[in-house]
Amino acid sequence: MLSSTVFLPLLAAALLAVLPVPDRVARIGWVGVTVADLALVVALVARYRTPAGGGLAFEERVRWIPSVGSSYHVGVDGLSLPLVALTAVVFCACSVYGWREDRRPRQLAALFLALQTTCLGLFVAQDLIVFFLFFDLSIVGMYAAIAGWGHGRDAGRSALQFFLYTFLGSLALLLGFIGLYLAADPHTFDLPELVAAAPLAGHPVAGGFVLAALLVGLAVKTPTIPFHTWLPPAHTDASAIGSAVLAAVLLKMGTYGFVRIAMPALPDAWRAFSWVVVAVGIASVLYGALVALAQTDLKRMIAYTSINHMGYVVLAVGAAGLSGSGTAARELAVTGAVTQMVSHGLVTGALFLLAGVLHDRTGSYAMRDFGGLAGTAPRWSGLFAVAAFASLGIPAFSGFVAEFQIFAGSIGATAWAALALPGILLTAALLLRALQQLVAGSAGPRSVGFGDVRAAEWLPVAGLLVLSLAVGVLPWLLLDLIAPASSAVVELVSR
Amino acid sequence: MIREEPLALLPELCLFGGAVVTLLAGSFLPRQRQWIARLLAVAALLLAATAAALALDDPARTVFGAFVVDTPTGIARLVVVAATMLVIGLGADDLAGRARESETYALLLLGALGAVVLAATDDLLVLTVGFLLAGIPLYALVGMPRTAGAAEAALKTYLLGALAGIALMLGTTVLYGIAGSTAYPGLAAGLAGAPAAAVAVGAVGVLAGLLFEAGGVPLHFWVPDATEGAGTPAAAFLTTVPKVGALVAAARLVEVLPGSLPWPLLVGVLAAATMTLGNLAALAQSDVRRLLGWSTVSQVGYLLMPVAVVGAGAGAVPALLTYLAGYAVSNLTAFAVLAARPGVRSLADSAGLARRHPALATALVVSLLSLVGTPPTAVFLGKLTVFTAAWDGGLAWLVVVAALNTVVSLAYYLRWLVAAFRPGAPDPGPGTAPWARAAAVCGTVGVLAVGLGAGAVTALVAG
Amino acid sequence: MTGLLWAIAAVPAAVGTLLCVLGRRADRVAPAVGAGTAALVLALSIAVAAGRPATGAPFLPGAPFGLGVDALAAVVLPTVAAVTLLVLVFSAGDVRGARARFTGLVLLFAAAVVVTVTATSLLSLLFGWEVMGATSYALIGFRWQQGHRVGAGLTAFLTTRTADLGLYLAAGAALAGGSGLALADLPGLPAPWRDVATAGVLVAALGKAAQLPFSGWLSAAMQGPGPVSALLHSAAMVAMGGYLLLRTQPLLAATGWAGPVAAWAGALTALLLGAVAIAQRDLKQLLAASTAAQLGFVVLGAGVGAVAGGTAHLIAHAATKALLFLAAGAWLTALGTKQLPALRGAARRWPLVGVCAGIGALALAGVVPLSLWATKDAVLAGARAQSLPLYLVGLAAAALSAGYAGKVLWLVWRQLPADADAGYDTEEPGTRRVGVLQQVPLVVLAAGAAVLGLLALPPVGGTLRRALGDAGPTPSAAELAGSAVLALVVLALAGRTWPALPGRAPAGWLGLARITEVLVTAPVLRAAELLARFDDRVLARAVAGTGRVVRAAGLLARFDDRVLARGVTGAGRSSLRLAWAAGRTDLAGPDRLVRSLAAGTRRLGALARRTQTGQLHQYYVQAAVVLAAAVALLLAAR
Repeated sequence: MLSSTVFLPLLAAALLAVLPVPDRVARIGWVGVTVADLALVVALVARYRTPAGGGLAFEERVRWIPSVGSSYHVGVDGLSLPLVALTAVVFCACSVYGWREDRRPRQLAALFLALQTTCLGLFVAQDLIVFFLFFDLSIVGMYAAIAGWGHGRDAGRSALQFFLYTFLGSLALLLGFIGLYLAADPHTFDLPELVAAAPLAGHPVAGGFVLAALLVGLAVKTPTIPFHTWLPPAHTDASAIGSAVLAAVLLKMGTYGFVRIAMPALPDAWRAFSWVVVAVGIASVLYGALVALAQTDLKRMIAYTSINHMGYVVLAVGAAGLSGSGTAARELAVTGAVTQMVSHGLVTGALFLLAGVLHDRTGSYAMRDFGGLAGTAPRWSGLFAVAAFASLGIPAFSGFVAEFQIFAGSIGATAWAALALPGILLTAALLLRALQQLVAGSAGPRSVGFGDVRAAEWLPVAGLLVLSLAVGVLPWLLLDLIAPASSAVVELVSR
Repeated sequence: MIREEPLALLPELCLFGGAVVTLLAGSFLPRQRQWIARLLAVAALLLAATAAALALDDPARTVFGAFVVDTPTGIARLVVVAATMLVIGLGADDLAGRARESETYALLLLGALGAVVLAATDDLLVLTVGFLLAGIPLYALVGMPRTAGAAEAALKTYLLGALAGIALMLGTTVLYGIAGSTAYPGLAAGLAGAPAAAVAVGAVGVLAGLLFEAGGVPLHFWVPDATEGAGTPAAAFLTTVPKVGALVAAARLVEVLPGSLPWPLLVGVLAAATMTLGNLAALAQSDVRRLLGWSTVSQVGYLLMPVAVVGAGAGAVPALLTYLAGYAVSNLTAFAVLAARPGVRSLADSAGLARRHPALATALVVSLLSLVGTPPTAVFLGKLTVFTAAWDGGLAWLVVVAALNTVVSLAYYLRWLVAAFRPGAPDPGPGTAPWARAAAVCGTVGVLAVGLGAGAVTALVAG
Repeated sequence: MTGLLWAIAAVPAAVGTLLCVLGRRADRVAPAVGAGTAALVLALSIAVAAGRPATGAPFLPGAPFGLGVDALAAVVLPTVAAVTLLVLVFSAGDVRGARARFTGLVLLFAAAVVVTVTATSLLSLLFGWEVMGATSYALIGFRWQQGHRVGAGLTAFLTTRTADLGLYLAAGAALAGGSGLALADLPGLPAPWRDVATAGVLVAALGKAAQLPFSGWLSAAMQGPGPVSALLHSAAMVAMGGYLLLRTQPLLAATGWAGPVAAWAGALTALLLGAVAIAQRDLKQLLAASTAAQLGFVVLGAGVGAVAGGTAHLIAHAATKALLFLAAGAWLTALGTKQLPALRGAARRWPLVGVCAGIGALALAGVVPLSLWATKDAVLAGARAQSLPLYLVGLAAAALSAGYAGKVLWLVWRQLPADADAGYDTEEPGTRRVGVLQQVPLVVLAAGAAVLGLLALPPVGGTLRRALGDAGPTPSAAELAGSAVLALVVLALAGRTWPALPGRAPAGWLGLARITEVLVTAPVLRAAELLARFDDRVLARAVAGTGRVVRAAGLLARFDDRVLARGVTGAGRSSLRLAWAAGRTDLAGPDRLVRSLAAGTRRLGALARRTQTGQLHQYYVQAAVVLAAAVALLLAAR
């Protein structure tokens, strides 16, 4: 069940890559497969029951490399299942949006389907080698997406920078994994076994180094400052769906790594370093928001808001490591962190798709070139307004649920977390300034004759926003999944 | 008392016999019937492979007092034979109908034999013999095409080889002098408590000889020139097969060297130097052959990591063998892509590959990503095990160096991929070569098979 | 009964969303639908006011979404619903164009207010609170065609949200203190956390209530249509600030320090903003300032524990101010101006509007027996029990309110000048007519403004005090009489001295907007610009450093209108200076590091190839040297 969900897109990708089917068939196939996969994921969610004792659901384990203690081990719990669902949703939306892409649609469909498998696989992986496998392949796939379908002047250079930078991160990650493997007795790459053993518990120095390696690897992917510099060019030069997937799903791999690997497997080291993580989180929140505030290019601005939003997650997971504070607050923080991953995926995905419409029509993201779009493109404007408010964390959207939990929990764990509060305000300021500049006032040079969104464009965006709304109004639907897992994580990290 | 089991050497005998037969047959066959010679060579290789495979489960033992039959030998045999077969496959189009076609096959077989002897022996004298047996065919292979570049490359290879040979023999003499034996068991006993300086000079001399065969610092100079100057099949062969023999031999040697001297440190430093130099030098290459040549140098650096820690942990030798297998198939696949489009010399020429030959482009992507070490390819498995072994053996710093080097290497491998996926550029030279293309596809399958079938591979190399 | 409670929030939210989504297609039916929904909400709110249900729905783990109707909510909720209904009726005859969007946003706003009023936990409170702010942004910037109106909405939203951060802080403190998020549990928090929570709530409330130092946004918010001002700044948004303090009065009292702080903030706001109001020559600006001032009395009441008085004042003021704003809106629509000099004699054009407005002005002035007279004194009685200075300041503020109310009253009822039309249509083309739909709500509100004082007078006042558990002092007859006399005197003076109060340069609200600009906005934008420059420089140097100063200028220009010239040049110069600094510091920048690393690697590569000389003897030498070095290493590291 789980494996078929993961590998169905890859199968379709292989077929599309080999068979020279006409473009139309490729498009239909792409959408069809993503919808089918989404249906499978929905079935998974429907049949999911929180396993007793922090175990895994839909667990599958097949011998792979027994001699190095690695196996094809997959399974989901409250931390991974929401992200699996997010992945399926985002890729489905992108497949619809990609309907109008006429540059090598067959190859594009194949690439994104393969990418979908890597993302799904990463979130269900319960073995470090399997995790690393999908982690690296996602980098390769995204590189191809940027270099092959990007539209920037120097998409190649941005893609190369992205690849080199994130590949460096992945190698740091690999070193950390090897460290964990060697520390465990018997040697193993199996995540549950490592978590149960917490191998480096007694060795502060070694644990510190291994955690440092993991942190660098994950921080590059997340990204937190000062490792964020690959993100803006990558986004600016990537196509709309490329950016959407990069921001909505790939960034989550980093933050997911924190809660899935770093915290439970290295509790002592995590508690020792959690202050560093909190500081980095606060810095990312404020720095990302401030730099975004000064951007004049819409896509760059959204990219920097991603740094800010991921900063909230980092802050929360850091605060969760501050032992001595109340457990309830730290659980709330972790739950908020996972919620924020989902929320940011939905909302930022929508924002990037909307930004893509601008470029599609006018070839420009420069906000000063627009204005008065509410007149020429009311539907686009309405969607953008909703997305902006959702992104700045207005209640009734998922962002509020996430940020309220993160802040309440983190401040509950350490008052220093309050330093990040201005981030909320800055985000509001920059998003509404962008909204005002694009939508309000008199029509700008590029707004004239701007065609409003077509069905293939507004459907996916609306879908993502409706989901964000659903999470914002009925959050317990999601939180009932997450909460038990996050309390388990807090329990593990407090060992 | 010395065991005498001729049958234990069946694979080697197959190779030797194959060489002789191919040579004889070739001298009688007319130019357009040379494919028969090729067939004979392949048949000999198949026989050798079968014999080697059957011998895998035999108990480890030393026959004729100098020839170890154990898992490393068995794996080395298989890798060498398979690699040679792949070389013949990717070179078939290039060699077909040339003068000295059959001689080439004979030389390939002899070189393979030499590599196996290198890998299998535990006696310095036999090691010397293996060195010559593996080295001399190289000079001839490099010089086979009648071009100025080939001639110069052959000369350099020969002269460096001479230097290395001298060092090797010198080292052998010194070690024999102090240990009173050339067989490793005797060496291990005799070198313990021997004067450090003498041991150092002797061992370094022997290592120098092996480093030449492997193409590692400081005797790597011939590799780029030879790769550029020689024909594609020869280049593919000399960047793959000798390394297998030399590195296994180095592992065997380092294992018996006395612990009084910091061998892991020395080999580790050499490994770091080799991989760094190879990567840095490859960065700005525009000639694909030269780029590949330097990349093989850097790969030797990674391959030396398990050699450095061979004494420290049980994981070292299996890691070395895994990496060797993965490296051989990946490297040969890349060369097969080259051989499939003979006209291509520079990176720019490979533009439009993805459009016109998607299969070759796939092969290129897979092989290069494998050389980078991306899962689930062959070299990733090698890197994983090698890094683990090195870290386990106490050389964590070397692992970090290797990781950084991997990032650097990504830069030039990607340059090639980017060029290959760049649209346009009229197809240079004649069309593609069917055999080479087939070899590339087989290689691709092999790369992925080793990576995905990692369980079987690691079980195999663990003996 | 709990179902009804959910319905009050859910129905307007659903209808409003629907109207917004349908957009122009629903323009025709929108007014009717809106009024109908509002009427339903009013009916439901009266029902729940009688039934007093309390309920909760699962929301966050361990933090349910709590709604409930207690005595306080039971009186405030119907007020809000009624004003919403009247405003929608009025705007049915007033607002032209995009009616569906307007009605939908008003309904969404109303839903948010309902949640805010009935919230029993910090979570549900913040939920309604923030949505209220967002919808107010959309309503103020309703006419998006004029960018500056949207900008005004942004200012309002950002200012109030700054204060809202206090509620996030309070939630964190509540968790840290170990109590739940329920508002009732907050007073039980342990010491440091209780103070933090109180401070957060206090800041949030002062911000929404436009008390000092947050009052500035209210001036900008006047860019919204007349009905919007009537709703936002009488019964709903601004009033909610005061309401929150009334609701959390036990928390304020528990800390000891928070009560006086709130009281003084309210009193001073009432005084200073009253003065600001007198100086205004724009009717809506005057009314806005007076709103802040009147809310000051509510906050004062909450601070001194006069909950009943504060509540009564809140409700009475809601009716009065809604009336005046609607009248101003009617004149604006009809005459196209809201400048007081131009409105001279406007009351005589439409007597009904004039009479209603007159009643409102008199009530605002605190003329006996109209509403605000009694409610204000109920608050002041509590203040006097606390401290005399507080009482005196409040009294002075009351006098000022009589002053600006009188200013309006005398002006609009003067003789209509012959050249009246000359002053019209300065802001928008007037219609020269006031429809029935616009007049009916005025009458209702006027009635309310007249009689709601009963809430502070026996016997009704006593019932309210008991219901709210307010045992504070009641105003003595002397106080009541005194304030009544004071109001009349000042009113008379205002009439006498009106010609002596010529339209001076429009007073700048104590320069609050400017202060915010200089102290907050500009520095933040400057910092943002510098960080971005840093990020860019260390990033792809695609963007040339030149022309960035211009961009900085544009950045500020878009944001501000008044400080533009100074801001640009100042920012420009400092940006240049600091840009060099950034240019120097960025050597340490992360990505600069990366790319210099890459460059270094490339140089090393060249170096590495240099060893490949092609000269064999050099190969020999190199090999020999390295091998020798190897031996040396072995022996050295032994």
